[in-house]
Amino acid sequence: MAGSLAYFLPAAKLAWDATGQVVTVPSPGPSPSPTLDTSPSPSAVAQVPGAFTVLLLGSDDDSKFSSDHVLTQSMILVRVIPSTHSVTMLSIPRDLYVPFWTGGSGKIDGAYSYGQAGGAIATVERDFGVHIDYYIWIGLLGLVKLIDAIGGIDVVTSNPVMDDFYPNDIFSQYPYDYSRVAVLPGPQHLDGLHAMQYVRSRHGDLQSDIGRSKRQQQVLLAIRLKARQVSSADVPAIAKALGGEIKTSIPLDRIVELIPLAATFENPDAINSIVMEPPLFHGNGPDGSLTPNWPAILALVRQYFP
Amino acid sequence: MIARFFLGLGLLVLMVVVSFGTFFYLGGRHSKIALAPQKPTAATPRAQAFTLPGTLYLAQNGALYSFSVGRFHQLTGEEGWTQPSLFPDGQYLLAVKRSYLYSDVYVLTRFGAVHRQLTNNTAYGRYADISDRHWSFYPRLNPSESTVFMSYDAPKYGYDVNLSVWGVPYGASMSQGRLWTISKDYTGGDVQALPLNGGGIIYTKYSYGLDGNLTGQLWFSKNPENPRLPGTALTDPDKDCSQPSLSRDGHLLAFICTNKKQFADMYIASWNGSSLGRLYGVIGNQVVAQPAFAPDGSGIAYLAPGAAGQFQLWFLPKNAYDAPAPSPAPVPTPTPGGPYSGALPSPTAAASTAAPVIKPIQITTGNGFDATSPMTWSN
Repeated sequence: MAGSLAYFLPAAKLAWDATGQVVTVPSPGPSPSPTLDTSPSPSAVAQVPGAFTVLLLGSDDDSKFSSDHVLTQSMILVRVIPSTHSVTMLSIPRDLYVPFWTGGSGKIDGAYSYGQAGGAIATVERDFGVHIDYYIWIGLLGLVKLIDAIGGIDVVTSNPVMDDFYPNDIFSQYPYDYSRVAVLPGPQHLDGLHAMQYVRSRHGDLQSDIGRSKRQQQVLLAIRLKARQVSSADVPAIAKALGGEIKTSIPLDRIVELIPLAATFENPDAINSIVMEPPLFHGNGPDGSLTPNWPAILALVRQYFP
Repeated sequence: MIARFFLGLGLLVLMVVVSFGTFFYLGGRHSKIALAPQKPTAATPRAQAFTLPGTLYLAQNGALYSFSVGRFHQLTGEEGWTQPSLFPDGQYLLAVKRSYLYSDVYVLTRFGAVHRQLTNNTAYGRYADISDRHWSFYPRLNPSESTVFMSYDAPKYGYDVNLSVWGVPYGASMSQGRLWTISKDYTGGDVQALPLNGGGIIYTKYSYGLDGNLTGQLWFSKNPENPRLPGTALTDPDKDCSQPSLSRDGHLLAFICTNKKQFADMYIASWNGSSLGRLYGVIGNQVVAQPAFAPDGSGIAYLAPGAAGQFQLWFLPKNAYDAPAPSPAPVPTPTPGGPYSGALPSPTAAASTAAPVIKPIQITTGNGFDATSPMTWSN
């Protein structure tokens, strides 16, 4: 018993530290957007028993930012319906210009920076008319370490991802330096560093952030596939990898319930991946942001999220 | 009292032993998924390893290996080597040496010694910009050994960095090369050119499909880049095909298509010098990479994940695809397992209505071959 406790202590500490985070919703700002209907949405999605919605947040927690003021480069709403073993993922563009719950407006990637997880959740709930049950935040370095801890992932990369201006801010002394990236196309085994290059590079993609969101969803699904093979022998390495790089509001007992459930999601056709694309928004917003087409966005969101 | 003392002491010792035992037992268990791939040479000669004809060259973890008579030999150190391709006369190898910011093409002997460097893609000078460097990938000599075809990231404009296919006279510098393809903007470009006997190349072009997603297509180009002769698309963009490999007699093309899913199926089609015949799926529901025809025509080697996820060497015997059935073609699903140790499978006596299905053979386990590196095969 004591031996088991000692072995799993790092994982237990991580679980204790990272899970069940209390979400503090900051005070609403004085001037919510006048153009948005913030009333509860008449969702087309029936309330399914056991179903829940998670907001996945991914941050560039590199040395350019202080740890409590990071942006979220990736924001994905995930709806899980255990009874039908189906999952819907909706990527929200990080440059979408939205009203913040804390007041004012800006690119949605700043919501976390201003109000931490509570700010991001409140902003998404209010702007998109959804209810979020939980959030999971992961740092960029955590993603790299996690993928390495599970032995890498197999991905069929969509095209050559070429970037001469890739930010060299994770392992460099000079966080504003650039690096060159060439991720070759086709099936391959990616370690954490190259998986990060694949999901993070956007200069060589005409779709820029949209293309990147598609690649992020692809890597998430590859991690999910690999995670099904994780055994207790992998727990210490994963705990070490994620130490300080992951936070979630999901309580520990709920995670224990969800782990066996995750193994039952085997049908790839039951995973619906959606990336917002024009005409759901158009360019030319302030500071290079994307201007939302709210009626179209809300219509899409209400199809899948209550 | 003394008996209780010894009982307590015994229990204490037992508790300590069990605790440490449990801790060390758990700590001694090995992850099945995070294991570093084994060097191909680590366990050679493999007992009862399946023997392929000729010598196959492939890459793992920055080193080149040859595989012949069931044994691997390491040709280079783990120094960024990848994408070997044999000279048509079989005397030398072309290969890419990849560094952090650029890559170069070298000529190696068949035993891995550097014979000469063909490109020089780094940037010199105090004020050299990072984007002054270049990538060269997928080098191949044409049958007459006069021109090296490769994917090279030029021309490039700011953020728009794409690979295009270049033909460079053997031994000449890149400045004497000719642009063979114009890649589409912001796609990553054109890759893996296959020089043909009758002149021209088959290669993979990436472009945006009607749905806005990037997709690969096999193209045939008879001449260097010419706006009036842009070449011909050989496959449908919806199939997302890439990684072509031609049989030794030049009449059969093997390649992979994802059909826009996270699988990569292997297809074959006849090739008449200018167009493809009907596509036949020969392996489905597996992530197939880099098919390569055996020099004696006995089958196709390819890379695909084993049980733990790293890419292993597989072989599909010829009788699995030699006589493609009428539509729909049989698509055998491979069964991962240990190295095959018996005779080549033959069609089992089946009911007359069922077509025999030959399953691929997994040659290696525990390795982690570079699936972005085409394999090359000599007699």
